Amino acid sequence: MSRRILFVTTDQQRYDALGCNGGRIARTPVVDQLAAAGIRYERAIPQNVVCMPSRATMLTGQHVRNHGVWMNGVPLPHDAPSVSSLLHSAGWRTGLFGKAHFEPFLDPFLRFPESRMGRHRQTDEDGRPHRGFDHMELAGHGGAGLVHYSGWLRENHPEHLASYFPPVDRTLDVNADGGGDTGAPQVSHNPIPRDAYHTDWVVDRALAWLDGLEDCDDWFCWVSFPDPHHPWDPPASEVGRVQWRDLDLPAGYPVDRTEREALLDAKAPHWRRWYDGDLVSNYEAPAKWVPATLTADQVREVDARTHVSNELIDEALGRLLKALDRRGWDEDLDVVFTTDHGEFQGDHGLLFKGPYHVDSLMRLPLVWRPAPSRGVVPGVVDGPVGLVDLAPTFCQIAGLEVPDWMDGAPLPASSAGWASRERPAVLTEWDSRHPSGAEVHLQTITLDGMVCTRYEPGTSHSGTEGELWDLSTDPLQRVNRWDDPSCRSMRDALVNELDALLPERPSDPLRVEAPV
Amino acid sequence: MLWKWSVPFRIVEHTVDVRRELVIESPAGPVWAVVAAAERQAEWFPGMVSSRVEGAVRTVVAAGGALFQEEILAIDHSRRTFEYRITGPILVHHHLGRISVLDDEAGCRVVYEQEIDPKAMAPVLDAAVGDALEGLRDLVVHGRTSRGWESPAEASPGDGTEGNI
Repeated sequence: MSRRILFVTTDQQRYDALGCNGGRIARTPVVDQLAAAGIRYERAIPQNVVCMPSRATMLTGQHVRNHGVWMNGVPLPHDAPSVSSLLHSAGWRTGLFGKAHFEPFLDPFLRFPESRMGRHRQTDEDGRPHRGFDHMELAGHGGAGLVHYSGWLRENHPEHLASYFPPVDRTLDVNADGGGDTGAPQVSHNPIPRDAYHTDWVVDRALAWLDGLEDCDDWFCWVSFPDPHHPWDPPASEVGRVQWRDLDLPAGYPVDRTEREALLDAKAPHWRRWYDGDLVSNYEAPAKWVPATLTADQVREVDARTHVSNELIDEALGRLLKALDRRGWDEDLDVVFTTDHGEFQGDHGLLFKGPYHVDSLMRLPLVWRPAPSRGVVPGVVDGPVGLVDLAPTFCQIAGLEVPDWMDGAPLPASSAGWASRERPAVLTEWDSRHPSGAEVHLQTITLDGMVCTRYEPGTSHSGTEGELWDLSTDPLQRVNRWDDPSCRSMRDALVNELDALLPERPSDPLRVEAPV
Repeated sequence: MLWKWSVPFRIVEHTVDVRRELVIESPAGPVWAVVAAAERQAEWFPGMVSSRVEGAVRTVVAAGGALFQEEILAIDHSRRTFEYRITGPILVHHHLGRISVLDDEAGCRVVYEQEIDPKAMAPVLDAAVGDALEGLRDLVVHGRTSRGWESPAEASPGDGTEGNI
């Protein structure tokens, strides 16, 4: 019997993006059906809330301190271990289509294999697999960049090279320009036809590769959609699917300004400082955009466009799954669907992402539809799991021993399985050093319905601050119990557990080699 | 001989954002001769396809397709110091690059410094400069040219504007 794994990731997608997770706007019947037939995870947590560290965790099954990619712009070492390398060595065919981002995007001198492969439209690294992938065809968040999609667009739709919103401005800052009906940042009109948009291109390229495989091949196919990450510029032909004026504001958006700012003040100081435009701590949001200027209508418009992007992803995935079914592959196919991190999308009066360990960025969609031939009972796992558990899960599916260098453990297939986990806590870390001089360091443990974040000394923090959220009574994370005397013993216990579980920091941290 | 077209652009509040140095097992003279030949930079700077010089203007095409226009500010043979600045087409508020070849017991010590604003470019240049010093050693000590370099005879006529930073 052959084994096949379809690993589907989106980028910067919230838990509530999916119908199966209670989302009421975007229609996501394909992922919903996978969830109904498989296991849906109520609390899947990234080990870092930006792309490169999180993706490195997915690939290696390691915590950030062990793979070393401590912020965006730090390349995963070329010889880092990976689950794809293990599978390749075991005879599996391995492909990745869409956004990789194990290496920096900003690479004018082609220092990194991903850039060289993209620039020269090569699907491997000079005849060898790259990071264990026999075949890679890469995409980013638009028509520019050193990725295969850009070359394809240049060749096939040169008239649309400039249709996408430029993610960075001429000074290489994340672009703060606004557009659409409301002037929301990174919202833009994109006249590109839907079938030339990167969402459909990713599936087209995956299908072309799969078509070339033998029926009996074992394969691991990572389909990595760049959406719904900003810029919010889905094809103009599709934008009318969701009318922003019809949308309710998200529950996490405090409409009243006074209340909104009071809630921010109750958190660690960098929240309010960013909101006021007093602090730029990281590269992942436009430095020239001040969150306090965000209007309710802008939240609605960003929200609407995100829902459109999510629908397009679901439809593209549906097309892929149908093709696999026609090929007779579905019965032995495991499908795992998740994302790398979340998005504020209006929660707390914010957009984008950064050093903020709350559900907006940390509660992720995760669905595992085991191969039907395995007869796994569908269900829901409520307890926390991490993206660090994905690579070990792939090993388990493939019948490979989980290597010692992986930090995670195979995902539990049931609540009973979760209850018997050796380590029920999940860790998330943030370290950043911005050219402005701002430094932020935080570590978080999620355990027993609590999310506890400790701040280390930095430019905004003395090292005494923290956040303690009780998910059962405060799902919107508005009441910070860090300084609540009645929670002190719980806080201390969580911090002790955090210290016990966190790996040692590397003595010689990897260099930042690009802003992103 | 001091070869100098203009006074180096200096604003006192600018700081060095990138500083890398490497000891090369070669006397300073041959190393400086390569550094001072501005048009040869692409031979030792990995990921640089070409570096053409016309007067005080050097045009560099990176392997990713980006084009950098530079002004050569000083080639100071007495101090063995080369200075230049990026002038475009990317929007650069400030740039100053300086390469110094110093005597050293083991041969010579090459120090490559850059001031850059926007600061977002600093880590990119830092990493590239680290590669470049290794490339300089490869060229001078081992006679190996860098990845990406196209000799003038092989160089494609592209203007470099099709690529992206």
